Amino acid sequence: MNTPERSAAFILDDDQEKIEYAADTKVSNAGTFTFNKEDHTVGNLLRMQLLRDPTVKFAGYKHPHPLVHKILLKIQTTSSQRLPTEALSAAIEDLSNETDHLITQVTEAIDKWKKENDTGMLGM
Amino acid sequence: MPQQRFPKVEVLSVAPHFISFILSETDTSMANAIRRIMIAEVPTLAIDLVEYHENSSVLNDEYIAHRLGLIPIRFTPEGSMRRVPGGDCHQAFLPHRECVCYDRCPRCSVEFELDVNFDRVNQTRPEQERDLPLTVTSTDLKSNNPLVAPAHFLNEEEQDESHDEGISIVKLGPGQHLKLKAFARMGISKEHAKWCPVAVATYRFWPIITINAEACGMLTMEQKQELVDACPDRILELDEATGNLVPAENAYEMATFTEDLKTTQEAMKKRPEDEDFVSVVQSTDRFVFSVESTGAMDAEDILLSSLRVLKDRLNYLASEVENGLK
Ligand SMILES: [Zn+2]
Repeated sequence: MNTPERSAAFILDDDQEKIEYAADTKVSNAGTFTFNKEDHTVGNLLRMQLLRDPTVKFAGYKHPHPLVHKILLKIQTTSSQRLPTEALSAAIEDLSNETDHLITQVTEAIDKWKKENDTGMLGM
Repeated sequence: MPQQRFPKVEVLSVAPHFISFILSETDTSMANAIRRIMIAEVPTLAIDLVEYHENSSVLNDEYIAHRLGLIPIRFTPEGSMRRVPGGDCHQAFLPHRECVCYDRCPRCSVEFELDVNFDRVNQTRPEQERDLPLTVTSTDLKSNNPLVAPAHFLNEEEQDESHDEGISIVKLGPGQHLKLKAFARMGISKEHAKWCPVAVATYRFWPIITINAEACGMLTMEQKQELVDACPDRILELDEATGNLVPAENAYEMATFTEDLKTTQEAMKKRPEDEDFVSVVQSTDRFVFSVESTGAMDAEDILLSSLRVLKDRLNYLASEVENGLK
């Protein structure tokens, strides 16, 4: 009766921002991003991409609880010339380009397979 | 400076209900994101609301509604030669929460009618089937949208071979009647598993099998055979001509990375610090995917659709970072 709506896992609550940012008060060049209604899919993807960036000193994420639909992503950069937000933007852009590349790769690979294995499926 | 990767994709096999491919030159975070999206975030259609006009069957309304929900609903984009990346139902339908209509409309839902009356059907049945229980199946669902229908075998040939009569919903006896209207909506399986387009979506790590020829030279044929037998998944073979150990050709399909090989060869070593004869490790940048569809979409479309979902999500996050933060 008091179970939360399943859709609360992916639809933003009223007046909820998708991403919130809080600069770290104790560590320089660091801050925590809160991604509302996201999970390991995006969290781990962003963390691994950020770790490939030489201007990023630290990147880590956590999903606080299975029923709390958000992830916290902490980023620390190597210098004050590089904001955590800039590093995040760059990571998202790289991943977006990688996905574009994958779409082309998959489409080409499937077409190639179908040409080589003419199973009559092409007309379907 | 961009840190972009350029992954490679190699298709192993494609069938309407199944696709298997190798994803390489990227890492687990990308492989796992694709797998998780195929399971939980690719939109499909599923029956979400049922209006009963008559139900005198042995199953109650809720039970039947649940069974209807689990029937894969297939959307076929117009023009069979379509090749839109991720040609899923998201271009043809609106999520019902975003639609402007009051309750439902053809933009956000598909209506199915089902009306099966035992007594009426019984008259038309052949003599030997007369009075036997009558199975109501997914083929009795009549859609109001020509592009949408309950999933079925993917070509007529398969259908003829299997004598498939659709997915059973309930059996009716004399005097029983089931009449209902069902409404399918677009959704994702984060909300309910009935919207999940895949039966299986997994990947396994590519095995890197290294055979130390020099060390293996010290082994007798019996010991080599013992190593071959030590692997429960049969990833090694003994080349009869040369007497050398070789990796099996389809080792990637079988490697399970058990410790059996390790313990067996430890026992064969003269000194514990000797080099391994054979080592099997997981590759961190090469993955073998298997994706099997429920029938709601073609397997290749599920894959393309998952990439489209990922792309849209990243673009959304990018715009939120650009405009939302400061
Ligand atoms: Zn509507």
